[in-house]
Amino acid sequence: MSVIQTENLTKIFRVPQKDAGVRGAVKALFQPRYKDVTAVDGVTFSVEKGEVVGYIGLNGAGKSTTIKMLTGILVPSSGQVRVLGRDPHRERVANARQIGVVFGQRTQLWWDLALIESLNTIAKIYEMDPQRYDQLLEQFVDLLDLKDLLKVPVRNMSLGQKMRAELAATLIHEPEVVYLDEPTIGLDLIVKERMRAFIKQQNRETGTTVVLTTHDLGDIEELCQRVIIIDEGKLIYDGPLSAIKERFGKYRQITFEMARDLDGVDLPAGAEIVTQDGRSLVLRFDRTQTTASRVAAAVMEQFNVVDFSLAEPDLSMIVKQIYQGALHPEAV
Amino acid sequence: MIRYLVLYWTFFKQRIKVLMEYRVNFLIGASSTLFVQAASILSIWVVMRQVPTLNGWAMAEIWLVYGLLMLSKSINHMFADNLWTLGWDYVRTGNFDRLLVRPIDPLFHLLADRFCHDGIGHFVTGLILVVVSLVQLNVVVTPLKVIYMIITVVSGGAIFIALNLITGVSGFWVMDSTPVIRVVFEMHEFAKFPLSIYPKAISAVLTFLIPYGLASFYPASYVLGRDVPPTLALATPVVAALLVFISYRVWLFGLRHYSSTGS
Amino acid sequence: MAVLRRTARAYGAMMAMVPKLFMAYQIWVWMQFIVQIISLVILVSFWSAVYAGESSLSGLTLAQTLNYIILAQIFAPSTDTNMVFELGYMVRSGQIGMRLIQPLDLQLALYVQKVSEIALAFVFNLPLALIGWLLFRYHVPADPLVWLAFLVSLLIGNALLFCFDWILACASFYSTEVWGMGMLRYGVALFFSGALVPLAMMPGWLRTISTILPFSQALYTPVSLLSGITPLSGMPRIWLAQLAALVALGALSRFTFSRAVRQVTVQGG
Repeated sequence: MSVIQTENLTKIFRVPQKDAGVRGAVKALFQPRYKDVTAVDGVTFSVEKGEVVGYIGLNGAGKSTTIKMLTGILVPSSGQVRVLGRDPHRERVANARQIGVVFGQRTQLWWDLALIESLNTIAKIYEMDPQRYDQLLEQFVDLLDLKDLLKVPVRNMSLGQKMRAELAATLIHEPEVVYLDEPTIGLDLIVKERMRAFIKQQNRETGTTVVLTTHDLGDIEELCQRVIIIDEGKLIYDGPLSAIKERFGKYRQITFEMARDLDGVDLPAGAEIVTQDGRSLVLRFDRTQTTASRVAAAVMEQFNVVDFSLAEPDLSMIVKQIYQGALHPEAV
Repeated sequence: MIRYLVLYWTFFKQRIKVLMEYRVNFLIGASSTLFVQAASILSIWVVMRQVPTLNGWAMAEIWLVYGLLMLSKSINHMFADNLWTLGWDYVRTGNFDRLLVRPIDPLFHLLADRFCHDGIGHFVTGLILVVVSLVQLNVVVTPLKVIYMIITVVSGGAIFIALNLITGVSGFWVMDSTPVIRVVFEMHEFAKFPLSIYPKAISAVLTFLIPYGLASFYPASYVLGRDVPPTLALATPVVAALLVFISYRVWLFGLRHYSSTGS
Repeated sequence: MAVLRRTARAYGAMMAMVPKLFMAYQIWVWMQFIVQIISLVILVSFWSAVYAGESSLSGLTLAQTLNYIILAQIFAPSTDTNMVFELGYMVRSGQIGMRLIQPLDLQLALYVQKVSEIALAFVFNLPLALIGWLLFRYHVPADPLVWLAFLVSLLIGNALLFCFDWILACASFYSTEVWGMGMLRYGVALFFSGALVPLAMMPGWLRTISTILPFSQALYTPVSLLSGITPLSGMPRIWLAQLAALVALGALSRFTFSRAVRQVTVQGG
């Protein structure tokens, strides 16, 4: 049975339109005009138990709105959503018992209190069996290295420590579904690694289903076998990560800064110009056909290069390319 | 029900631990309202010692009106102060979502999130005034009267909370809802004095529309054996229950709006 | 001359910020207005009931008292010179360092800011003055000389209260827990400034305290001139007394501040 199931999930916001000035405000009061903004547009997908799904898209693509409908915070304008067989909004409390949510940089911990106090309270809110709680607490302290943090007030923690504490607080009640909204934003690599390992471990051992939104390709590569890509509210890709990587992961971009204006340039096979503007040149090359050093050497032979940089392909770049027509949903 | 009482106790203990982290602020906060109350009580004393009565009410009788209102107000201040900041601290910041993904009632969670110690000052002021008044007036305090006053104060607190909830729900629409709440809340100032000193229209508003008068003037009259319609003196718990019901419907309406717009 | 103009422009720029900040909170202005109307109606009803059986109290008739009380409500912002929270915040957040290296005298700059805030509060009280007049027909003097006497006394009284508050605020250099003192100051000022009761009605010992404390200088003294409780003939003596207090408090406040600032430099921040 699917853990999460959506069918034609749609969310339309009515945004009031206001003219400027006092007259506009008065007019808006007596004759309000609205514009409909479709944030999520007919999205259908299902997630099976134990899956880890990356839910990605540009900012404002409708990721958070979808997560809010899945968690029962928002009611869909039309379409269906079922989580563990329930309507998450209508049966909000029952749904809330079985989910865990990390909302980006907002905390569910008590700011001024030691971490252990927050965890104890959360255990009471979710009516955990005390013995089970103690057992899990010990396990989490070990896995997330929280031993020295238990007595520290959250306000005194670093961002990385806070995020580890947050994960513990989100998963301590053994939710069946976990939503992680940008969990690694702003964290350094070591903390990211530790968090990914923890999520992976939880998923493997308890079969927790995970829905993850992120901008970080590393998160997706480490954790997700499957990605769902959404753009302007519409689902544009739902499938294995490998297919995406095959198509787009093979491209890299190099940006050159020249000493003087350039006119023409000869490139090795597999490389092509993306943009060329005065003294700056952006190239794209296929990693399977050539290498960065070969491309760079070719350019440097012809021109006096002041500076150059190699861009890591990140997800937002891939999404942008997909949206620009590189991958049509019907082509998948 | 029992589960929620246990949970409130858990939240309350958490809050006290937070307050103990800032001990000096705790003491100052708890006593801060005392200074302002002292100024206004002292002013009434300065004036009233020169005249025998205020519209037939002796100074000690006014303390009872004033004190009962303070006690009701303190209940609201201690247990429902978070309503003031629903728009600003919860909806605007997105923290309200946090309440909605927990398996407990969001209104309960909102109220339980912050016990406000500043209300203790009001409680102490009110209690002193009521005791001083009853002693000065040689009122025979029967157990029945004590029970009546406790019910009145609790109901009065519920009236305060319900009215703040009705106006506070505006926080789901406008982020900065404090002024909306304040305008209605401020009407309680009228109820510090016998309503009979005001124009008829005002005392009618304070009795039937924004019934803060039911928390002070009418019960005080009843306790002092003054001439008021007994229906009004006994109406306080009934009106409180009605207002709580209405305000909860309004809250649900606001909650529905929130879950369809997200802001 | 150019230096003076530049200085004036710098202070002027600070003044211009104040109304912009106020307009950002339009809905708050409306709330303030309604809250004031409520307290005005309460005060008038209360005093009318007090005077029900008396023709005069402490030598004041009902009309005189109401006149005074309504005018005192309108000009009450004059006592809003509390600096404890502002200076306390600056010290705690470390902003004080930034402010001290500005080419402005900090005390003068904050005084100018306070005065413009208070002047603006008076402007925002104009609707209150109008509604109050429509409802209760209070009396304002026609004699421009009375107005002049009132304005001068208000200005001096406000300035000397500012200096007093400045001295209090200097405590925030020594302790981070000044919040309680700020609240205490607010309560004390409410009572002793004469905002709620004309000081003439207080028993002798309370009157003595209120004359010693500076709060009444910013409200009771000027407003009692405007409302006719104090005759114009008493003016020269009042001005002199106020000026003397201003000089004394001004000197003391500058001395206290210069001592307190050392606290910052010693601690290095």
